[in-house]
Amino acid sequence: MEKLNGKNQVDFIYNYKNYNDEDSSVRIGIELPFDAENECLDELVTRLLNDMDPMQRYLDENISLKAALRQFIQEENQKFLDNFAEQLLEQARQNEFDLEAVIRKTERHYKDEIIQFADRVGPSDEDIFAQSFHRLVHSSSLEEILKREGAYAKVISDITTQMDREVETLNSAQQQEMDSKIKQLDITTTPDDINNLLAQQYSTQNYIRQRYESELQAKRGHQRNEYRNWITSQVGKIFESSPATTPLGNRSSMFISQQPSMEESFTIHLGSQLKHMHNIRILSADVTDLCSPLHVDESLNGLNMALGLYSSSLCGVVVLTPSIQAQANKSIIKNANMSTEFHFDQIDDQLEKIEKQIFTLSVNDSPTPSMQSYNSATNGSGVGDISMPNNNGSGTSSSGGSPTKTATTKLKTGDFFITKHSNLSQSHVIFHLISDEPINSPSEINSRHPVILGLRNILKTASRHDVTTLTIPALLRHEMSEDMTVQWCMRRAELVFKCAKGFMIESASWGGAELSTLQLLLPHDISEELFTTLAGMVPNVFRVANPKILVDSNK
Amino acid sequence: MHQSKSKPESRLAAITFFAKTHPGDVCGSNGLPLTPNSIAILGRAQKLKELKHPHLCQYLDFVRGKHERTIVVSEYFGTTLQDKSRSVLIEPLVVRIFYQIVCALKALTEHNLVVHNLEPKHVLLDDCDNVKLFNYGLYHMTRCGDYVPFPIGNVRYMSPERFLGSKNNIKSDIWSLGMIVAELLLQTKFWPNLKISNIARKILSFCQTNNVFERIAREHNCLERYEQINGELRILIENCLSVTPAKRPLPTDLFTHEVFSKDIEAYAYTEPPKPTILLYRCPLEQIYYWWQLAGGDVQGELKKEGLIRSEAPILAIPQLVCLNGKIVGPKRSQSYLMDDRVVPLKLNNLYEKLCNQPAMAYFPLIHSPKFPHNFGAGMEQLPLVIRERDIEYQFYRVRLFSRLLKGYPYTSEMIRKEAAKDIPPYLRGPIWSCLLDVIPIGSYGKIDKFTPTSTDRQIEVDIPRCHQYDELLSSPEGHCKLKRLLKAWVTAHPQYVYWQGLDSLTAPFLYLNFNNEELAFLSLYKFIPKYLQWFFLKDNSAIIKEYLSKFSQLTAFHEPLLAKHLASINFIPELFAIPWFLTMFSHVFPLHKIMHLWDKLMLGDSSYPLYIGIAILKQLKNTLLASGFNECILLFSDLPDIVMESCVFESQKMYECTPKSVSHRFHVLRETPLTEFDLTPDVTLSHLQAEMCPRISANDFTSLLHYAPTDMCALDLRSAVEFSHVRVPHSINVPFVAAQLAEPRLDALGVSQLVEMLQGRIVICMSNKHEHEFSKFLVECGVQRVCVLHKGFNILHTIEPNILISN
Repeated sequence: MEKLNGKNQVDFIYNYKNYNDEDSSVRIGIELPFDAENECLDELVTRLLNDMDPMQRYLDENISLKAALRQFIQEENQKFLDNFAEQLLEQARQNEFDLEAVIRKTERHYKDEIIQFADRVGPSDEDIFAQSFHRLVHSSSLEEILKREGAYAKVISDITTQMDREVETLNSAQQQEMDSKIKQLDITTTPDDINNLLAQQYSTQNYIRQRYESELQAKRGHQRNEYRNWITSQVGKIFESSPATTPLGNRSSMFISQQPSMEESFTIHLGSQLKHMHNIRILSADVTDLCSPLHVDESLNGLNMALGLYSSSLCGVVVLTPSIQAQANKSIIKNANMSTEFHFDQIDDQLEKIEKQIFTLSVNDSPTPSMQSYNSATNGSGVGDISMPNNNGSGTSSSGGSPTKTATTKLKTGDFFITKHSNLSQSHVIFHLISDEPINSPSEINSRHPVILGLRNILKTASRHDVTTLTIPALLRHEMSEDMTVQWCMRRAELVFKCAKGFMIESASWGGAELSTLQLLLPHDISEELFTTLAGMVPNVFRVANPKILVDSNK
Repeated sequence: MHQSKSKPESRLAAITFFAKTHPGDVCGSNGLPLTPNSIAILGRAQKLKELKHPHLCQYLDFVRGKHERTIVVSEYFGTTLQDKSRSVLIEPLVVRIFYQIVCALKALTEHNLVVHNLEPKHVLLDDCDNVKLFNYGLYHMTRCGDYVPFPIGNVRYMSPERFLGSKNNIKSDIWSLGMIVAELLLQTKFWPNLKISNIARKILSFCQTNNVFERIAREHNCLERYEQINGELRILIENCLSVTPAKRPLPTDLFTHEVFSKDIEAYAYTEPPKPTILLYRCPLEQIYYWWQLAGGDVQGELKKEGLIRSEAPILAIPQLVCLNGKIVGPKRSQSYLMDDRVVPLKLNNLYEKLCNQPAMAYFPLIHSPKFPHNFGAGMEQLPLVIRERDIEYQFYRVRLFSRLLKGYPYTSEMIRKEAAKDIPPYLRGPIWSCLLDVIPIGSYGKIDKFTPTSTDRQIEVDIPRCHQYDELLSSPEGHCKLKRLLKAWVTAHPQYVYWQGLDSLTAPFLYLNFNNEELAFLSLYKFIPKYLQWFFLKDNSAIIKEYLSKFSQLTAFHEPLLAKHLASINFIPELFAIPWFLTMFSHVFPLHKIMHLWDKLMLGDSSYPLYIGIAILKQLKNTLLASGFNECILLFSDLPDIVMESCVFESQKMYECTPKSVSHRFHVLRETPLTEFDLTPDVTLSHLQAEMCPRISANDFTSLLHYAPTDMCALDLRSAVEFSHVRVPHSINVPFVAAQLAEPRLDALGVSQLVEMLQGRIVICMSNKHEHEFSKFLVECGVQRVCVLHKGFNILHTIEPNILISN
C-alpha cells in the first residue's frame, strides 16, 4: 500500500469504489514526522477528496477515508519516530555523541530553570529590606519614618550648606589675597609667586572640599546603616502588633505643584474596539524640578514617593543626556546628593557601576558570529540600521586585539541607562536617554530615529517593570533655543505624540503593567502661546474620552 | 431534602509557570510583532478542556497573568501515587494502576497527545483506587516545551532517547510507565540520592543493556523480588523498558494484553459512589465557574501559597538598555523559576453559599408545572451586570439552562423564553446556537477549508487585525480556527463573496465556541441570512442602500430632531453606518459589549439592528446636535465608548413600540408571502430615499386601531368634505393646505391641543396625496413616530371587515 519515498515522505494510497462501483485510487505524499499542528488530518482528507469525483463527497466517502488515513499516518509516524529514536540510541552506543555534554546540558537546564533543583539563594538583603520598608510605610509608622528621613536630610544639607559657605568665604579671602598679590606684581612679587599662591590656594580649597566630602560620605554611611537597622527593628514590632495589609498599588497623585507651571490634563481612550483608558498630562517645567530633592521643605516630605517606592506603580522620568560616558544631568546629581539615599546606592556609585557595565559590555562586544546574526536580525526589522550621529562604529571597531577604552565606552543614541532614587520628588526611576542632537541646530527626525526607538524601549522597560507614570520630553529637548521655530516644535511634538500613542497601543500586547499616566514635558522656557498650541494638539492626536454625564433615566 | 454536612474536599488545583519571553524586538514573518508565548500557550491549551475521560483529570481554565505568567486550573483530588507508594502496594493493585495508566495513555494517543512528564506525582488515586493522570497536557500546551524556559519531565522516569532529542513519541511515555510500575513492584525508589547528572548517566548507560528491568533490580538489591514477580507481568515490564523504542508496546497493545484481560473486572475503572454533596454531582467546569463567582481568585490562592511572589519591581529594573537589544540588569530573580507545586483551591466558600439550595434548584424539573423552576425570580429586576456576577442567580440559571439545552430542539420555545430574561454568560455559545436554530449534523467536516482561493490573501490580512486584544483570538490557534471558519463560509456560499467585516462577524461565535468549530460555523451560517440576507453578494449596493435608507427613516421616526439635523448637514448613514450593519456592530465594539448586544439581537428579527444604530445615535445626540459635518466624521471615525446597557435598553424599547411594517425592507428572508395589505414591492429604493418618513401597512394600521387605539393618532389630510363623508374612527381631520407648511410650527395648522394629542403616539398621516410633504413637516416640527399610510386612504375601503365610519 505504501512505499518509502525519499527520506521523510511516504505515499498514502487510498483504494475505493467510486459511484459506478469501479475500483479507483487516490494518492498523497505525507511528510514525516507528521506535524499534527500545521498539517491537520482534515486538510489532507480534503485534498484527497478534491481529487475524487465530487459525488464521493455526498457518498460520505470522507468518513472512511479519514479513518484509513488516520490509521495510516499513525502507523507510519510511529515507525518513523521509533526509527529516529533508534538511530539516536545507536549513535549513542557508537559514541558518536558526547554523552557527558548531553548530561551536563541536561543538568544545567534543570538547575537553571526549576526551583527544586536550583541552588537556592535566600532573599537578598535588598528584598528583605524592601519588604520591611513597604510593610512599615503602609502602617502607622509612616509618619515617624518621614520625620526621621527629614531629620537625616537636614543633617546632610546642613553639612553641604556649611561646605558651600566655607568654600565661598575661602574663595573670597583667596580672591582678595590674589588681587593684592596681582597688584604687587612686578613690584614685590614675581609670576612664580603668583603661580605658587594659586597652587596653594587650590590645594587648600581641595582640602576643604575633600574634608567635607569624606565627612559627608561617612555621615551618609552612618545614616544609612542607622536607618536601615531601625527599619528592620521596627518591622518586627509591627508584625507582632498588627498584620497591616499592604495596599499593592498606590494610585494617588504623585504631583505636588511646586511652582506655577503650565499644564493641562486629558483622559484618553486607546484601542479600536476595546478601549484602554490613560491619562495624559502636558506640562512645561524644568526637568530637574521633577527630580528635586525631598525634605527641603515641609510640603515635600516624600510621603507619596515612600508609599510608591516598592509598589507596582512606579514613577519614571526620561532625561536626555549626551553620549559622553554615563553622565547624568549635573543638577539631578546634586539634588540626589542633598540627602542620603537609604534604599539604593548613592547616585555617584550607581553611575560608576553603570560605567563599568558599559565597559565590560563593549569588551564582550567583539563581533562573534552569533552576535552578528542577532544584529542582522534586529536590522531586518528595521531597528538598528539608521545612521546615527556620533556612531563612529564604536561597537564593532574592536574586532582585532584588545579594545581601547576610549573607543568603546560610549553609549549610542537611543541607548539608555537607569538610576533608581528614593529621595527625589517625582521620580523613582530616571531613564537617561542618550541623545546627541546639537543644541543650536534643530534637526528633522522621523519615527525610525534611534531616539524614538529608544523611547519605545523605555516604554517597554516601563511596562515590564511596573513603571505606570512616565514623563517624556515632548520635544526631545529640555531647553528652548532660538532656532526652534513654532513649525519645528509642532512637527516634533506631533511626531513624539504619535509615536507615543503607537507605542502605548502596542504596549497592550506586551503583557506588562499598563501605563496609567503619560506626562509630556515641554521645556520650562516655552512661551505660553506655543504651549497652548502644543497642548491643543493632544486631543487631536489622542482620542479624548467622552465625559460621562449622569442623566436621570426616568426623564 | 437534606444534604449531609460533610466538609467539602478540594477538587480543583492550580499550577503556574512562566512562558519564555521573546528576546528583544523580533517580528514574525508577516512583519507583525510576535505573539507572546503565554498567549500561544493559552490557545493551544484550549483543546485540553475537551478531554473528558475517567482516567484523566479535566482541564478547567488557563489564566494569563502579568509578565508572561500562565496559570493552569484543573481537576485534582485524592492522593498521588508518590504518597500512596510510601507504603507497600500489593501486586493486584499495582497491576490495576498499570492498566489504568495504560487506559489514560490510550485515550491521549487517540488525540495525538503525548505526556512526557509521566511520574508518580502526576498519577492520582481516588478512594476506589481509580487512577487519574494529572498535568498531562503541559508538553502539548507548551508546544514540546518550546514556549517555556524550563525542561519538562522528571529525569528519573525519562527514557534514554529523550535525553538525545527524540520527542513526541508515545513510546517514551511507555518507558516512564515501565519505570513507575517497576518501582512499585520492586517496592523501592530508584536512585533516591543521586544527582540529576548521575541519574542521567545511569539511564544513558542502559543503551548498552539488554534487560533494563533486571539490571535495575540488581543494582537495587531487589533481584529476589524481581524473580518473584509473575512471569507474564515481568516480561511485559521488560518490554516496556526495552531500550529500542520499536520493541516497546503501544498503549493499544497493552490495553488488550493478557495480563489485564484475564481479570479485567479487578483492574477496570470502578464507578465511585454518587457523591452525597449535590454540588459534586454537577459538572466540574460549572463548579469551577461558580467558585470564581463566589469570590474564588486563583492568583490570590497562588499568592497565599507563595507561588506568586511579589518582589518589588524597582529592584529588578535593569541598569542599561541598548538599542541593539542588550540589557544589563540585576540577576534574574528565582521567583521566575519553575515551581511545580500544586495548589488546591478550597471550595468551602462556594459550598457554604450553595449548601442550602434545595435539590430542585440543582436539578430543576422543566416539564412539571407542579414544581416551578423559577428560582431567583425576584432578582430579574437587578441590573444585568449584577445578575451576571451573582453566584446564586448564575447557579440557578446555569442549572436550568443546562437542563434545557439537553432537551434541545424540543425545548426550543422554553429556551427562547428564558433567554429573553437573560443569558448566562457561561452557556452563551450553545444558547445562541439554539436561538439560531442550529442543529449540528457533521456537515462542517465535509466543507473544503483548505484549497487555496482568491480570498485567502484578504483573509490573511484581516485576521491579525480582528479583535486582537482578546487572548484567544490573538493566539496562533485562534488565527487558524478563524481562517478555517472564514474559508468554510466562503466555500459554502458560492453565491456570496468575502467582504471585509466577515472576520469581525465570525469572531464572537469563535470566541464563544472556541473548542467547537462546527457550532461556531453553523451559528454564523444561520446568523447571516437572518440578519444580513444578501449583504455578502458581490454587488450588495441595492441591499445596503435600502438598509441605510430605512435606517434614515427610522431615525426620523424615533429621533426627528436628530434626523433633521443630520439631514441638514448632509451627514448621511453611508458615511458611518456601513461597518455597523455589515458586521452587526462587531467591528465597532469590544467582544464583551457585543455579547450583551447580541443577546438581545438574537431574540429580535432582522429589523432589530436598525434600532441599535438609532440607540447609538441617541446616546451621542447632544454631541451630534452641536457638531457640524467635519466633527461628525471625526467622531465616528473612532467611535467613542458607548454605554451598552442603555443602548440595549433603548433599542429594545424602540423595537417593541415600532409596528413591523414601519421597519419593512424588501431584502429580507421572508417566511410568509406579502399580501396587498402589507408593504408591496412597488415601494422602491427611490421611494425610500425620497421619503423622510416610513410607511405603515394597512394591516398594521388596522391592528393598531383594533388593539391599541390609544397608541396611535390618525391624521386625515383629505378635505373636510371627504372627511365628513367617510372616516376612520378617532381620526383627526387636518385638511392639507400647502401654505401652512412654510414654517415648521405645529400651531400653524390651527388644530387645538395638537401637540398633546400627538405626544407619545404613533402618528399616521393618511391621504391620497401630499402625505409625504406633510409628514416631513411634522418631523421638522419635532413630532416623534410619524409614519404614512401605504397606498393612502383608499386602501382602507377594501379592508374586510369594514373599519370606516360613513355618514
